[in-house]
Amino acid sequence: MFDPTIPTRHPGRVCIIGGGGTGAALAYDLALRGFSVTLLEKGELTSGTTGRHHGQLHSGARYAVGDRAIARECMEETLVLRRIVPDAIEYNGGVFAALSDDEADYAPAFIEACQEAGIPAREVPVAEACSWEPALNPAATRTVWVPDGSFDAFRLPLSFFAAAKRLGAEIRPFAEAVGVEASGGHVRAVLVRQAGSIRDERIECDYVVSATGAWAGVVGKLAGLDVPVTPAPGTMVAVRGRVSDMVISRLAPPGDGDIIVSQRGLSIIGTTQRIVDNPDGILPVDEDVAFMLARADELAPGFSSRAVHAVWAAARPLAGRTSGDGRNISRDFMVLDHAPEGVAGMATLIGGKATVLRAMAEKAADHVCRALGVLEPCRTRDFVLPSWRDWYAEVLP
Amino acid sequence: MMPGSTKNEAMVSLVLNIRDGDSHASFSLEAEPHRTVLDLLERLRAGGGVVPAYRHSCHHGSCGTCGAIINGLEALMCLTTAGDLASARPRLPGGPAVEPETDGQGAVVVTLEPLARMDVISGIAVVPGRVFAGIPGEAVYLAAVENAGRSPLPADPEGARAEGGCKPDAAVWRPAGRVRFEACIECGLCVSACPVAVPFIGPAALAAVNREREKRPETAAAMLALAAAPDGVGPCGRHLACSRVCPQAVYPGKHIQMLRNALGAAARHAAGMSAD
Repeated sequence: MFDPTIPTRHPGRVCIIGGGGTGAALAYDLALRGFSVTLLEKGELTSGTTGRHHGQLHSGARYAVGDRAIARECMEETLVLRRIVPDAIEYNGGVFAALSDDEADYAPAFIEACQEAGIPAREVPVAEACSWEPALNPAATRTVWVPDGSFDAFRLPLSFFAAAKRLGAEIRPFAEAVGVEASGGHVRAVLVRQAGSIRDERIECDYVVSATGAWAGVVGKLAGLDVPVTPAPGTMVAVRGRVSDMVISRLAPPGDGDIIVSQRGLSIIGTTQRIVDNPDGILPVDEDVAFMLARADELAPGFSSRAVHAVWAAARPLAGRTSGDGRNISRDFMVLDHAPEGVAGMATLIGGKATVLRAMAEKAADHVCRALGVLEPCRTRDFVLPSWRDWYAEVLP
Repeated sequence: MMPGSTKNEAMVSLVLNIRDGDSHASFSLEAEPHRTVLDLLERLRAGGGVVPAYRHSCHHGSCGTCGAIINGLEALMCLTTAGDLASARPRLPGGPAVEPETDGQGAVVVTLEPLARMDVISGIAVVPGRVFAGIPGEAVYLAAVENAGRSPLPADPEGARAEGGCKPDAAVWRPAGRVRFEACIECGLCVSACPVAVPFIGPAALAAVNREREKRPETAAAMLALAAAPDGVGPCGRHLACSRVCPQAVYPGKHIQMLRNALGAAARHAAGMSAD
């Protein structure tokens, strides 16, 4: 039963722009700390990048060699999410498989990095890994077990929204922020337009957080800001049927088409990475499809013989700017305070990944607390969230 | 028609009429046959078009938000392609496939309406509250997966166990071993297509009731009580529109029949007991 008490109600009014996973977790975190919260999302909740995620619940193993800190955070967050949103997670573990000599040679550094990051990765005989998942390529030369899983990229964040709403946060889908009003160098209000309406509404607030991911540049412009974010779309291909229950990954540095995530009745191969200027209307790149299916066949022979169910693309929100494909940009996140640019009372969350949505929200909420002079600890690790069905159950008349 | 063989495809000319209050917003466009209706709406919106509001999230048939009535038939916009619409297709659940309607220039006319029986937010975006209203609050979304000749999954080592911290909710039940989500994505296509006009918790809820009964026998009595209520299986007229539009092969009509069978067995059992 989700029934947390709120020790102190604070007068601070916080407006969150962006109804993706980060906005969801932030609305919940701030509501739980006693703030008055309004969240604006221009479309349906999670309709930007969040919902299109392939659903891998990252143990952090994928990132361990490159960045121990991010990997450690992923591991900690997977454990938190498995406790607080258990019904939105298919936790079946994962296997990294080496398919070349180079990849086999990568295994010791990979395992060591995982262990340094607190991820209990362990090498297992290939025959054992194949006995768990016979779809795995038997030509694999080394295999490593990791605590990966998959989550429902729509239902998991919606549970955070349901929790935020229960605590009194006002969550407004189909409400687009069209202006940020400031005076005296401080943000005073956000102008919002509800879908189907021609009138703008003014929402007064004491603090604005842009949790708009790949759209952070677009929303920053509303306040005259130049926010460094690079939308980096990737194409994903889902085929019918589950090739495995475990997540199957390539034992190699992160690249294109190196993860198979099975979920519900589908298996998804992900992903590619490009960079674009405009995150709106991103469509999958047709040439990526054959490449991805071929890469999937290397991990799980026969993958491409299954019927293709859907092909789609999602824009990662990389922090910073790049002229390459963006793989050189860290997947870390940061809270960017805009006071030094002359817009006090506003911050933008940039970067990050779905698995660490709660941690991103915690850092952003800590930042809001400091800005508003409130001492209130984060408690979002402490409660099992209500079901996403609650979100709908309560909007019934 | 699905992607993969995208070379040299003939483009499809479409006229999209999207419900917007009392009228429709119309757009003419050319589309590759493998593009989905949702892709086309996204492309229109990114191009600066004022597109009526629509729901979407995952773009691959998992979230269940993008249902609409597409030329008379409930479907997910993310799984319905321009090629599908240019081919013969039923105009209502269970109806015969008919050739597409075209305008004077030969463009395929496509009309998008919001799902029925739901409150419209704006455009074709709805609040799917009715889909969820009858689903038991305790119904578990995870299901067990058979090992099917495979070795059981290894136990989590120290450091990968999710216990501790907050106390696991007693109501949170999960199967042991391999798990997966229920096939039902709660998209509400079945609820929209169902012609029953009296109080009825509906096909999605009854499918969830039956799945819960199957998965957790300890809930069977409570689930059968829901099925036996006046708004339970009784109002179902066996039209099977629900099963015909289901994008996930859940076939709610089958679950409703299984509940009827279980209720019948329980009644016969009770009658036998009283005859003794």
